[in-house]
Amino acid sequence: MNVFRITLFVCLISFAARAQQDYTKSLDGIDWVKIESRTKVTVEMHGENQLRIKGGEMHKTPERAKGLKLVGDNGTDNTNVGFYVIKEGSNLIVRNLQKHNRGHAVIYLPASQNISVRTNGTNKSDIEISGFTGEIEASVELNGAIKVTDISGPITASTLNGNVEVTFTKVSQTSPISIFSTNGALDITLPGNTPADLSMGSINGEIYTNFELVFPEKNGLKAVSTQKVRQSINGGGVNFQLKTINGNMYLRKQ
Amino acid sequence: MEGKHVIELLPDYLDGVLDTAQMQRVEAHLKRCPGCASEREAMGTLWDAFANEEPAAPSNRIRTHFLERLEQEKRGGDQVVSMAGDPAAKRFPWTNLLKVAASIVLLASAFMLGRYRQEQKSNLEIAALRNEGLEVRQTAMLSLMENKSASKRIQGVHYIDGFADPDEAIVKALTDRMLHDENTNVRLSALEALEKFTASEMVKEAFITALKTEKDSGIQIAIIQLLVKIQEKKAVAPMQRLLEREDTQPFVKEQIESVLPAII
Repeated sequence: MNVFRITLFVCLISFAARAQQDYTKSLDGIDWVKIESRTKVTVEMHGENQLRIKGGEMHKTPERAKGLKLVGDNGTDNTNVGFYVIKEGSNLIVRNLQKHNRGHAVIYLPASQNISVRTNGTNKSDIEISGFTGEIEASVELNGAIKVTDISGPITASTLNGNVEVTFTKVSQTSPISIFSTNGALDITLPGNTPADLSMGSINGEIYTNFELVFPEKNGLKAVSTQKVRQSINGGGVNFQLKTINGNMYLRKQ
Repeated sequence: MEGKHVIELLPDYLDGVLDTAQMQRVEAHLKRCPGCASEREAMGTLWDAFANEEPAAPSNRIRTHFLERLEQEKRGGDQVVSMAGDPAAKRFPWTNLLKVAASIVLLASAFMLGRYRQEQKSNLEIAALRNEGLEVRQTAMLSLMENKSASKRIQGVHYIDGFADPDEAIVKALTDRMLHDENTNVRLSALEALEKFTASEMVKEAFITALKTEKDSGIQIAIIQLLVKIQEKKAVAPMQRLLEREDTQPFVKEQIESVLPAII
Protein backbone atom coordinates (compact mmCIF):
# COMPACT_ATOMS: atom_id res chain seq x y z
CA MET A 1 0.00 0.00 0.00
CA ASN A 2 2.79 2.37 0.93
CA VAL A 3 4.58 1.68 -2.32
CA PHE A 4 1.41 2.46 -4.25
CA ARG A 5 0.99 5.76 -2.40
CA ILE A 6 4.54 6.80 -3.09
CA THR A 7 4.24 5.93 -6.76
CA LEU A 8 1.04 7.94 -7.02
CA PHE A 9 2.63 10.86 -5.23
CA VAL A 10 5.65 10.85 -7.51
CA CYS A 11 3.39 10.66 -10.55
CA LEU A 12 1.35 13.62 -9.37
CA ILE A 13 4.43 15.67 -8.59
CA SER A 14 6.01 15.04 -11.96
CA PHE A 15 2.71 15.73 -13.75
CA ALA A 16 2.33 19.00 -11.89
CA ALA A 17 5.91 19.96 -12.69
CA ARG A 18 5.36 19.20 -16.36
CA ALA A 19 2.13 21.16 -16.44
CA GLN A 20 3.94 24.08 -14.88
CA GLN A 21 6.65 23.97 -17.50
CA ASP A 22 4.77 24.04 -20.80
CA TYR A 23 1.75 26.03 -21.80
CA THR A 24 -0.51 24.60 -24.52
CA LYS A 25 -3.54 25.98 -26.31
CA SER A 26 -5.75 24.41 -28.97
CA LEU A 27 -5.61 25.93 -32.47
CA ASP A 28 -9.17 25.02 -33.48
CA GLY A 29 -10.64 27.80 -35.61
CA ILE A 30 -7.35 29.72 -35.60
CA ASP A 31 -6.23 31.17 -38.91
CA TRP A 32 -3.24 33.22 -37.79
CA VAL A 33 -1.02 33.04 -34.73
CA LYS A 34 0.32 36.53 -33.99
CA ILE A 35 3.33 36.62 -31.72
CA GLU A 36 4.55 39.87 -30.19
CA SER A 37 7.70 40.13 -28.13
CA ARG A 38 10.37 42.47 -26.81
CA THR A 39 12.95 39.71 -26.73
CA LYS A 40 14.21 36.91 -28.91
CA VAL A 41 11.55 34.52 -30.25
CA THR A 42 12.14 31.06 -31.70
CA VAL A 43 9.31 29.34 -33.53
CA GLU A 44 9.65 25.65 -34.29
CA MET A 45 7.24 23.16 -35.79
CA HIS A 46 5.83 20.09 -34.08
CA GLY A 47 3.28 17.38 -34.83
CA GLU A 48 0.52 18.52 -32.47
CA ASN A 49 -2.38 20.71 -33.56
CA GLN A 50 -1.83 23.13 -30.71
CA LEU A 51 0.34 25.96 -29.53
CA ARG A 52 3.03 24.96 -27.05
CA ILE A 53 5.19 27.46 -25.22
CA LYS A 54 8.19 25.87 -23.57
CA GLY A 55 8.46 26.67 -19.93
CA GLY A 56 11.53 26.18 -17.81
CA GLU A 57 14.15 27.97 -15.72
CA MET A 58 14.00 30.94 -18.05
CA HIS A 59 10.43 31.79 -17.11
CA LYS A 60 10.71 31.10 -13.40
CA THR A 61 9.22 33.86 -11.29
CA PRO A 62 11.30 35.28 -8.42
CA GLU A 63 10.60 34.10 -4.86
CA ARG A 64 9.01 37.43 -3.92
CA ALA A 65 6.48 37.14 -6.77
CA LYS A 66 4.75 34.15 -5.18
CA GLY A 67 0.99 34.65 -5.53
CA LEU A 68 1.46 37.60 -7.87
CA LYS A 69 1.08 37.76 -11.63
CA LEU A 70 3.46 39.15 -14.22
CA VAL A 71 2.07 42.25 -15.89
CA GLY A 72 3.10 43.80 -19.20
CA ASP A 73 1.98 46.99 -20.90
CA ASN A 74 -0.79 45.15 -22.73
CA GLY A 75 -1.72 42.07 -20.76
CA THR A 76 -1.35 39.94 -17.66
CA ASP A 77 0.32 36.54 -17.56
CA ASN A 78 -2.44 33.98 -18.11
CA THR A 79 -0.15 31.10 -19.06
CA ASN A 80 2.33 30.77 -16.15
CA VAL A 81 5.17 30.99 -18.66
CA GLY A 82 5.23 34.78 -18.85
CA PHE A 83 2.83 35.16 -21.78
CA TYR A 84 -0.56 36.70 -22.35
CA VAL A 85 -2.49 34.54 -24.82
CA ILE A 86 -5.90 35.50 -26.14
CA LYS A 87 -8.11 34.50 -29.04
CA GLU A 88 -9.37 37.43 -31.14
CA GLY A 89 -11.70 36.17 -33.87
CA SER A 90 -9.63 33.75 -35.92
CA ASN A 91 -6.36 35.18 -34.61
CA LEU A 92 -4.50 33.86 -31.61
CA ILE A 93 -2.59 36.72 -30.03
CA VAL A 94 0.52 35.54 -28.16
CA ARG A 95 2.26 38.33 -26.23
CA ASN A 96 5.54 37.80 -24.49
CA LEU A 97 5.43 39.95 -21.36
CA GLN A 98 9.03 39.30 -20.31
CA LYS A 99 11.98 41.50 -21.11
CA HIS A 100 15.58 41.14 -22.12
CA ASN A 101 17.54 37.99 -21.46
CA ARG A 102 14.96 36.30 -19.32
CA GLY A 103 12.28 36.14 -21.94
CA HIS A 104 13.75 34.13 -24.82
CA ALA A 105 10.67 32.21 -25.88
CA VAL A 106 10.52 28.90 -27.72
CA ILE A 107 7.11 28.39 -29.30
CA TYR A 108 5.94 25.26 -31.10
CA LEU A 109 3.26 25.25 -33.80
CA PRO A 110 2.03 22.82 -36.48
CA ALA A 111 3.86 23.10 -39.82
CA SER A 112 0.97 24.51 -41.86
CA GLN A 113 0.15 27.33 -39.42
CA ASN A 114 0.12 30.95 -40.64
CA ILE A 115 2.45 32.85 -38.35
CA SER A 116 3.10 36.49 -37.75
CA VAL A 117 5.98 37.45 -35.44
CA ARG A 118 6.81 41.00 -34.44
CA THR A 119 9.52 42.10 -32.05
CA ASN A 120 10.37 45.63 -30.97
CA GLY A 121 12.97 45.22 -28.26
CA THR A 122 15.86 47.59 -27.78
CA ASN A 123 18.10 44.64 -26.99
CA LYS A 124 18.80 41.98 -29.59
CA SER A 125 15.28 40.71 -30.22
CA ASP A 126 15.91 38.20 -32.99
CA ILE A 127 13.29 36.09 -34.73
CA GLU A 128 14.13 32.52 -35.65
CA ILE A 129 11.63 30.42 -37.55
CA SER A 130 12.22 26.99 -38.96
CA GLY A 131 10.36 24.43 -41.06
CA PHE A 132 6.93 25.88 -41.90
CA THR A 133 4.73 25.56 -44.99
CA GLY A 134 2.14 28.21 -44.00
CA GLU A 135 2.49 31.94 -44.50
CA ILE A 136 5.07 33.79 -42.46
CA GLU A 137 5.25 37.44 -41.52
CA ALA A 138 8.32 38.45 -39.55
CA SER A 139 9.10 41.97 -38.52
CA VAL A 140 11.88 43.25 -36.27
CA GLU A 141 11.09 46.87 -35.62
CA LEU A 142 14.17 47.85 -33.67
CA ASN A 143 17.25 45.74 -33.05
CA GLY A 144 17.56 42.13 -34.03
CA ALA A 145 18.00 39.80 -36.96
CA ILE A 146 15.65 37.42 -38.73
CA LYS A 147 16.64 33.88 -39.58
CA VAL A 148 14.09 31.74 -41.36
CA THR A 149 15.06 28.28 -42.58
CA ASP A 150 13.42 25.42 -44.48
CA ILE A 151 10.23 27.19 -45.43
CA SER A 152 8.23 27.40 -48.65
CA GLY A 153 6.62 30.81 -48.23
CA PRO A 154 4.86 33.09 -48.86
CA ILE A 155 6.85 35.30 -46.54
CA THR A 156 7.16 38.96 -45.75
CA ALA A 157 10.07 40.00 -43.56
CA SER A 158 11.54 43.33 -42.51
CA THR A 159 14.26 44.52 -40.16
CA LEU A 160 15.78 47.84 -39.25
CA ASN A 161 19.35 47.01 -38.24
CA GLY A 162 19.67 43.23 -38.31
CA ASN A 163 20.39 40.87 -41.17
CA VAL A 164 17.70 38.76 -42.78
CA GLU A 165 18.60 35.21 -43.70
CA VAL A 166 16.01 33.07 -45.46
CA THR A 167 16.44 29.54 -46.85
CA PHE A 168 13.66 28.14 -48.98
CA THR A 169 13.12 24.42 -49.54
CA LYS A 170 10.85 25.41 -52.40
CA VAL A 171 9.07 28.64 -53.25
CA SER A 172 5.27 28.69 -53.07
CA GLN A 173 3.84 30.35 -56.18
CA THR A 174 0.58 31.48 -54.56
CA SER A 175 1.37 35.04 -53.53
CA PRO A 176 4.31 37.43 -53.44
CA ILE A 177 7.41 37.29 -51.30
CA SER A 178 8.81 40.52 -49.93
CA ILE A 179 11.97 40.93 -47.86
CA PHE A 180 13.23 44.30 -46.75
CA SER A 181 15.93 45.66 -44.49
CA THR A 182 17.07 49.20 -43.86
CA ASN A 183 20.59 48.68 -42.52
CA GLY A 184 20.95 44.91 -42.48
CA ALA A 185 22.04 42.59 -45.27
CA LEU A 186 19.75 40.11 -46.99
CA ASP A 187 21.04 36.59 -47.49
CA ILE A 188 18.53 34.53 -49.44
CA THR A 189 18.91 30.95 -50.66
CA LEU A 190 16.57 29.41 -53.24
CA PRO A 191 16.46 26.06 -55.04
CA GLY A 192 18.13 26.55 -58.45
CA ASN A 193 14.99 25.64 -60.39
CA THR A 194 12.72 28.20 -58.68
CA PRO A 195 10.53 30.06 -61.14
CA ALA A 196 10.21 33.69 -60.03
CA ASP A 197 10.00 37.29 -61.15
CA LEU A 198 12.81 38.86 -59.18
CA SER A 199 12.86 42.50 -58.25
CA MET A 200 15.98 43.44 -56.32
CA GLY A 201 16.76 46.98 -55.31
CA SER A 202 19.17 48.70 -52.96
CA ILE A 203 19.83 52.39 -52.52
CA ASN A 204 23.33 52.21 -51.05
CA GLY A 205 24.08 48.48 -50.87
CA GLU A 206 25.35 46.05 -53.48
CA ILE A 207 23.58 43.05 -54.92
CA TYR A 208 25.30 39.69 -55.42
CA THR A 209 23.92 36.53 -56.94
CA ASN A 210 24.96 33.33 -58.69
CA PHE A 211 21.67 33.00 -60.55
CA GLU A 212 22.08 33.28 -64.30
CA LEU A 213 21.68 36.97 -64.92
CA VAL A 214 23.59 38.51 -67.80
CA PHE A 215 26.01 40.83 -66.00
CA PRO A 216 29.80 41.28 -65.74
CA GLU A 217 31.80 38.83 -63.61
CA LYS A 218 33.16 39.82 -60.20
CA ASN A 219 34.73 37.35 -57.77
CA GLY A 220 32.57 34.39 -58.71
CA LEU A 221 29.40 36.14 -57.69
CA LYS A 222 28.14 38.72 -60.11
CA ALA A 223 27.86 42.34 -59.12
CA VAL A 224 24.76 44.15 -60.21
CA SER A 225 25.26 47.84 -59.81
CA THR A 226 21.97 49.41 -60.88
CA GLN A 227 19.47 50.47 -58.23
CA LYS A 228 16.79 48.04 -59.24
CA VAL A 229 17.14 44.72 -61.04
CA ARG A 230 14.12 43.08 -62.59
CA GLN A 231 14.77 39.57 -63.87
CA SER A 232 12.74 36.47 -64.54
CA ILE A 233 14.40 33.22 -63.51
CA ASN A 234 13.38 29.78 -64.74
CA GLY A 235 10.73 31.23 -67.02
CA GLY A 236 9.25 33.61 -64.47
CA GLY A 237 6.82 32.99 -61.64
CA VAL A 238 5.85 34.38 -58.28
CA ASN A 239 6.75 37.97 -57.51
CA PHE A 240 9.92 37.96 -55.41
CA GLN A 241 10.89 41.33 -54.02
CA LEU A 242 14.14 42.11 -52.19
CA LYS A 243 15.03 45.59 -51.03
CA THR A 244 17.56 47.25 -48.78
CA ILE A 245 18.55 50.81 -48.10
CA ASN A 246 22.14 50.44 -46.86
CA GLY A 247 22.76 46.70 -46.60
CA ASN A 248 24.14 44.36 -49.22
CA MET A 249 22.09 41.63 -50.81
CA TYR A 250 23.14 38.04 -51.46
CA LEU A 251 20.91 35.79 -53.54
CA ARG A 252 22.17 32.23 -53.63
CA LYS A 253 21.31 29.25 -55.76
CA GLN A 254 21.05 26.01 -53.78
CA MET B 1 -48.01 27.98 -53.21
CA GLU B 2 -47.88 26.82 -56.85
CA GLY B 3 -49.20 23.41 -55.80
CA LYS B 4 -52.41 24.93 -54.52
CA HIS B 5 -53.35 26.51 -57.83
CA VAL B 6 -56.12 24.81 -59.76
CA ILE B 7 -54.98 25.43 -63.34
CA GLU B 8 -54.75 21.72 -64.10
CA LEU B 9 -58.33 21.19 -62.88
CA LEU B 10 -59.74 24.01 -65.02
CA PRO B 11 -60.38 21.98 -68.24
CA ASP B 12 -62.38 19.40 -66.30
CA TYR B 13 -64.10 22.18 -64.38
CA LEU B 14 -65.18 23.84 -67.62
CA ASP B 15 -66.28 20.50 -69.02
CA GLY B 16 -68.33 20.01 -65.87
CA VAL B 17 -66.89 16.59 -65.07
CA LEU B 18 -65.50 17.38 -61.60
CA ASP B 19 -67.14 15.95 -58.52
CA THR B 20 -68.86 18.36 -56.14
CA ALA B 21 -65.99 18.61 -53.61
CA GLN B 22 -63.43 19.45 -56.31
CA MET B 23 -65.89 21.83 -57.91
CA GLN B 24 -66.27 23.76 -54.67
CA ARG B 25 -62.53 23.86 -54.11
CA VAL B 26 -61.94 25.27 -57.59
CA GLU B 27 -64.64 27.88 -57.20
CA ALA B 28 -63.33 28.94 -53.80
CA HIS B 29 -59.79 29.23 -55.16
CA LEU B 30 -60.89 31.21 -58.21
CA LYS B 31 -62.36 33.87 -55.92
CA ARG B 32 -59.09 34.24 -54.03
CA CYS B 33 -56.54 33.90 -56.81
CA PRO B 34 -56.57 36.49 -59.60
CA GLY B 35 -53.99 34.46 -61.55
CA CYS B 36 -56.18 31.37 -61.79
CA ALA B 37 -59.28 33.50 -62.36
CA SER B 38 -57.74 35.14 -65.41
CA GLU B 39 -56.60 31.71 -66.61
CA ARG B 40 -60.20 30.55 -66.27
CA GLU B 41 -61.35 33.61 -68.23
CA ALA B 42 -58.98 32.77 -71.07
CA MET B 43 -59.85 29.11 -71.10
CA GLY B 44 -63.56 29.97 -70.97
CA THR B 45 -63.17 31.96 -74.18
CA LEU B 46 -61.47 28.98 -75.79
CA TRP B 47 -64.21 26.66 -74.57
CA ASP B 48 -66.90 28.96 -75.98
CA ALA B 49 -65.09 28.88 -79.30
CA PHE B 50 -65.08 25.09 -79.19
CA ALA B 51 -68.79 25.07 -78.33
CA ASN B 52 -69.68 27.40 -81.20
CA GLU B 53 -67.73 25.32 -83.68
CA GLU B 54 -70.15 23.35 -85.94
CA PRO B 55 -69.59 19.71 -85.20
CA ALA B 56 -68.25 18.09 -88.35
CA ALA B 57 -70.68 15.48 -89.51
CA PRO B 58 -69.13 12.29 -90.79
CA SER B 59 -69.74 11.62 -94.50
CA ASN B 60 -72.02 8.86 -95.62
CA ARG B 61 -69.10 6.74 -96.71
CA ILE B 62 -67.68 6.76 -93.18
CA ARG B 63 -71.15 6.04 -91.86
CA THR B 64 -71.58 2.91 -94.04
CA HIS B 65 -68.05 1.80 -93.24
CA PHE B 66 -68.82 2.24 -89.58
CA LEU B 67 -72.05 0.21 -89.82
CA GLU B 68 -70.27 -2.58 -91.72
CA ARG B 69 -67.64 -2.69 -89.04
CA LEU B 70 -70.26 -2.78 -86.38
CA GLU B 71 -71.92 -5.76 -88.05
CA GLN B 72 -68.57 -7.53 -88.23
CA GLU B 73 -67.94 -6.90 -84.56
CA LYS B 74 -71.36 -8.20 -83.69
CA ARG B 75 -70.73 -11.34 -85.71
CA GLY B 76 -67.29 -11.68 -84.18
CA GLY B 77 -68.86 -13.19 -81.08
CA ASP B 78 -69.18 -12.54 -77.50
CA GLN B 79 -65.99 -10.57 -76.61
CA VAL B 80 -67.10 -7.67 -74.51
CA VAL B 81 -65.40 -4.35 -75.09
CA SER B 82 -65.77 -2.45 -71.90
CA MET B 83 -66.32 1.28 -72.20
CA ALA B 84 -65.61 3.75 -69.46
CA GLY B 85 -68.62 5.10 -67.64
CA ASP B 86 -67.55 8.62 -68.53
CA PRO B 87 -70.12 10.00 -70.93
CA ALA B 88 -67.54 12.27 -72.58
CA ALA B 89 -65.51 9.24 -73.62
CA LYS B 90 -68.44 7.79 -75.59
CA ARG B 91 -68.33 10.67 -78.05
CA PHE B 92 -65.39 11.16 -80.35
CA PRO B 93 -63.10 13.49 -78.24
CA TRP B 94 -62.94 16.50 -80.59
CA THR B 95 -62.69 18.94 -77.70
CA ASN B 96 -59.86 16.98 -76.11
CA LEU B 97 -57.99 16.91 -79.42
CA LEU B 98 -58.24 20.68 -79.66
CA LYS B 99 -57.08 21.01 -76.05
CA VAL B 100 -54.02 18.95 -76.85
CA ALA B 101 -53.32 21.07 -79.92
CA ALA B 102 -53.74 24.24 -77.88
CA SER B 103 -51.37 23.07 -75.19
CA ILE B 104 -48.77 22.14 -77.81
CA VAL B 105 -49.04 25.64 -79.27
CA LEU B 106 -48.78 27.08 -75.76
CA LEU B 107 -45.71 24.99 -74.96
CA ALA B 108 -44.00 25.92 -78.21
CA SER B 109 -44.66 29.62 -77.78
CA ALA B 110 -43.44 29.57 -74.18
CA PHE B 111 -40.26 27.87 -75.35
CA MET B 112 -39.72 30.44 -78.08
CA LEU B 113 -40.34 33.30 -75.66
CA GLY B 114 -37.90 31.85 -73.16
CA ARG B 115 -35.26 31.44 -75.82
CA TYR B 116 -35.77 34.96 -77.05
CA ARG B 117 -35.38 36.35 -73.51
CA GLN B 118 -32.23 34.29 -72.97
CA GLU B 119 -30.75 35.65 -76.19
CA GLN B 120 -31.52 39.20 -75.14
CA LYS B 121 -29.89 38.57 -71.78
CA SER B 122 -26.73 37.11 -73.25
CA ASN B 123 -26.49 40.05 -75.64
CA LEU B 124 -26.49 42.31 -72.61
CA GLU B 125 -23.90 40.12 -70.94
CA ILE B 126 -21.59 40.32 -73.93
CA ALA B 127 -21.88 44.10 -73.84
CA ALA B 128 -21.13 44.10 -70.11
CA LEU B 129 -18.11 41.83 -70.55
CA ARG B 130 -16.18 44.59 -72.28
CA ASN B 131 -16.09 46.55 -69.03
CA GLU B 132 -16.18 43.56 -66.75
CA GLY B 133 -12.56 42.50 -67.26
CA LEU B 134 -11.43 45.79 -65.82
CA GLU B 135 -14.08 45.88 -63.12
CA VAL B 136 -13.33 42.35 -61.96
CA ARG B 137 -9.67 43.25 -61.77
CA GLN B 138 -10.43 46.37 -59.80
CA THR B 139 -12.71 44.51 -57.39
CA ALA B 140 -10.14 41.75 -56.97
CA MET B 141 -7.43 44.30 -56.34
CA LEU B 142 -9.42 46.24 -53.76
CA SER B 143 -10.48 43.11 -51.91
CA LEU B 144 -6.98 41.61 -51.95
CA MET B 145 -5.65 44.81 -50.41
CA GLU B 146 -7.98 44.22 -47.43
CA ASN B 147 -6.80 40.61 -46.94
CA LYS B 148 -5.51 39.47 -43.57
CA SER B 149 -2.32 38.16 -45.16
CA ALA B 150 0.40 40.73 -45.88
CA SER B 151 1.57 38.70 -48.88
CA LYS B 152 -1.98 38.81 -50.36
CA ARG B 153 -2.14 42.55 -49.76
CA ILE B 154 1.13 42.94 -51.67
CA GLN B 155 -0.37 40.83 -54.45
CA GLY B 156 -3.29 43.28 -54.54
CA VAL B 157 -0.88 46.21 -54.72
CA HIS B 158 0.95 44.62 -57.68
CA TYR B 159 -2.35 44.40 -59.60
CA ILE B 160 -1.84 48.10 -60.34
CA ASP B 161 0.44 47.04 -63.22
CA GLY B 162 -2.72 45.95 -65.08
CA PHE B 163 -4.17 49.46 -65.16
CA ALA B 164 -2.96 52.00 -67.70
CA ASP B 165 -5.14 54.74 -66.26
CA PRO B 166 -6.42 53.67 -62.81
CA ASP B 167 -9.38 55.55 -61.38
CA GLU B 168 -9.27 57.53 -58.17
CA ALA B 169 -10.68 54.74 -55.98
CA ILE B 170 -7.68 52.54 -56.77
CA VAL B 171 -5.10 55.25 -56.26
CA LYS B 172 -6.80 56.18 -52.99
CA ALA B 173 -6.71 52.55 -51.84
CA LEU B 174 -3.00 52.40 -52.67
CA THR B 175 -2.21 55.58 -50.75
CA ASP B 176 -4.18 54.16 -47.79
CA ARG B 177 -1.97 51.06 -47.90
CA MET B 178 1.17 53.22 -47.99
CA LEU B 179 0.03 55.40 -45.10
CA HIS B 180 -1.78 52.99 -42.80
CA ASP B 181 -0.84 49.34 -43.38
CA GLU B 182 0.63 47.76 -40.26
CA ASN B 183 3.10 45.72 -42.30
CA THR B 184 6.30 47.45 -43.42
CA ASN B 185 6.60 45.32 -46.57
CA VAL B 186 3.08 46.26 -47.68
CA ARG B 187 3.71 49.97 -47.10
CA LEU B 188 6.93 49.71 -49.10
CA SER B 189 5.23 47.86 -51.98
CA ALA B 190 2.46 50.47 -52.10
CA LEU B 191 5.05 53.23 -52.13
CA GLU B 192 6.88 51.63 -55.06
CA ALA B 193 3.59 51.08 -56.93
CA LEU B 194 2.70 54.75 -56.51
CA GLU B 195 6.04 55.90 -57.97
CA LYS B 196 4.43 55.70 -61.42
CA PHE B 197 1.72 58.18 -60.51
CA THR B 198 3.72 61.09 -59.11
CA ALA B 199 2.00 63.37 -61.64
CA SER B 200 -1.18 63.11 -59.56
CA GLU B 201 -1.58 65.81 -56.88
CA MET B 202 -3.31 63.28 -54.61
CA VAL B 203 -0.29 60.97 -54.78
CA LYS B 204 2.14 63.83 -54.08
CA GLU B 205 0.07 64.87 -51.07
CA ALA B 206 0.12 61.28 -49.84
CA PHE B 207 3.94 61.12 -50.11
CA ILE B 208 4.25 64.30 -48.06
CA THR B 209 1.80 62.97 -45.45
CA ALA B 210 3.76 59.70 -45.34
CA LEU B 211 6.96 61.64 -44.71
CA LYS B 212 5.35 63.08 -41.59
CA THR B 213 3.76 59.85 -40.31
CA GLU B 214 6.09 57.03 -41.40
CA LYS B 215 8.09 55.54 -38.52
CA ASP B 216 10.23 53.06 -40.46
CA SER B 217 13.46 54.82 -41.37
CA GLY B 218 13.97 52.65 -44.46
CA ILE B 219 10.68 53.81 -45.92
CA GLN B 220 11.46 57.38 -44.82
CA ILE B 221 14.57 57.24 -46.98
CA ALA B 222 12.68 55.74 -49.92
CA ILE B 223 10.15 58.59 -49.72
CA ILE B 224 12.87 61.22 -49.45
CA GLN B 225 14.61 59.83 -52.54
CA LEU B 226 11.36 59.87 -54.48
CA LEU B 227 10.42 63.41 -53.48
CA VAL B 228 13.88 64.65 -54.48
CA LYS B 229 13.56 62.90 -57.82
CA ILE B 230 10.32 64.71 -58.61
CA GLN B 231 11.68 67.97 -57.12
CA GLU B 232 8.71 68.42 -54.81
CA LYS B 233 9.17 71.80 -53.13
CA LYS B 234 6.41 71.12 -50.58
CA ALA B 235 8.56 68.32 -49.15
CA VAL B 236 11.16 70.71 -47.80
CA ALA B 237 9.24 71.71 -44.65
CA PRO B 238 8.44 68.15 -43.48
CA MET B 239 12.05 67.13 -44.17
CA GLN B 240 13.32 69.96 -42.01
CA ARG B 241 10.93 68.85 -39.29
CA LEU B 242 12.32 65.31 -39.53
CA LEU B 243 15.81 66.80 -39.06
CA GLU B 244 14.69 68.45 -35.84
CA ARG B 245 12.95 65.38 -34.43
CA GLU B 246 14.85 63.35 -31.84
CA ASP B 247 13.54 59.96 -32.87
CA THR B 248 14.79 60.33 -36.44
CA GLN B 249 17.62 57.91 -37.13
CA PRO B 250 20.99 59.61 -37.70
CA PHE B 251 21.43 58.12 -41.17
CA VAL B 252 18.04 59.50 -42.18
CA LYS B 253 19.18 62.94 -41.04
CA GLU B 254 22.38 62.55 -43.07
CA GLN B 255 20.32 61.60 -46.09
CA ILE B 256 18.08 64.66 -45.69
CA GLU B 257 21.05 66.98 -45.23
CA SER B 258 22.64 65.65 -48.38
CA VAL B 259 19.53 65.96 -50.56
CA LEU B 260 17.96 69.19 -49.25
CA PRO B 261 20.28 71.44 -51.31
CA ALA B 262 19.18 69.52 -54.40
CA ILE B 263 15.59 70.66 -53.93
CA ILE B 264 16.21 74.25 -52.85
